[in-house]
Amino acid sequence: MAHDTPIKRVRGLGSAHHGAHHWLVQRFTAIGNLVLSIWLIASIIGLPDLSYATVSKWLAQPVSATAMILLVISTFWHARLGLQVLIEDYLHNSGTKFAALAALNLTVIGGGAFAIFSVASLAFGGAA
Amino acid sequence: MALVGLFVLVWWLGALASGPAYYETFSGLMTSIPGYVVLVGLSWAFFTHLMSGLRHFVLDIGAGYELNTNKVWSIASPLIAILLTAGFWALILNK
Repeated sequence: MAHDTPIKRVRGLGSAHHGAHHWLVQRFTAIGNLVLSIWLIASIIGLPDLSYATVSKWLAQPVSATAMILLVISTFWHARLGLQVLIEDYLHNSGTKFAALAALNLTVIGGGAFAIFSVASLAFGGAA
Repeated sequence: MALVGLFVLVWWLGALASGPAYYETFSGLMTSIPGYVVLVGLSWAFFTHLMSGLRHFVLDIGAGYELNTNKVWSIASPLIAILLTAGFWALILNK
């Protein structure tokens, strides 16, 4: 029908049922970010200096390494969720939107993997 | 801003994993004038996002919608963020 409005086409289909979960995970990761970034800021302030020797020794400790890896996961996940919404809200061409979402996912997964690997290599004493 | 901040975090961790020589290069860049501009700017963006996020946690539980309360915190949040940024750098630079 040429005179259908968008609301008529979606009426009765219901929601996709993914919104609430997405919204909730954004909050869960926000809590993770809050706790872990307070830890990171307190640690940076608490370290006597920010030289290679001091920072690498600190980050190689099990608790620091674990907290840093969790911080990377939480912040990258949170950033992915937030930027996904930004892309979905502002990019209306489906091809551009798909490309932007693909680039976002590659960036956060690639960056996150590299960050986690870097922390692990320090913790396991494999520094190059 | 979020991706720039995460990029610098990843760069820092990667520099640590690369060893002392590259870490020197990294900290040289970050303690140059443009480096400080970037880091202060990122920490300001971080604290602004943090304060705004905390404000939205309160709004999410259904509190703080009275016009006056809402207005006060919408103005206070970014101001507190500036104070936190200043305090953070005061502590860092006084090491």
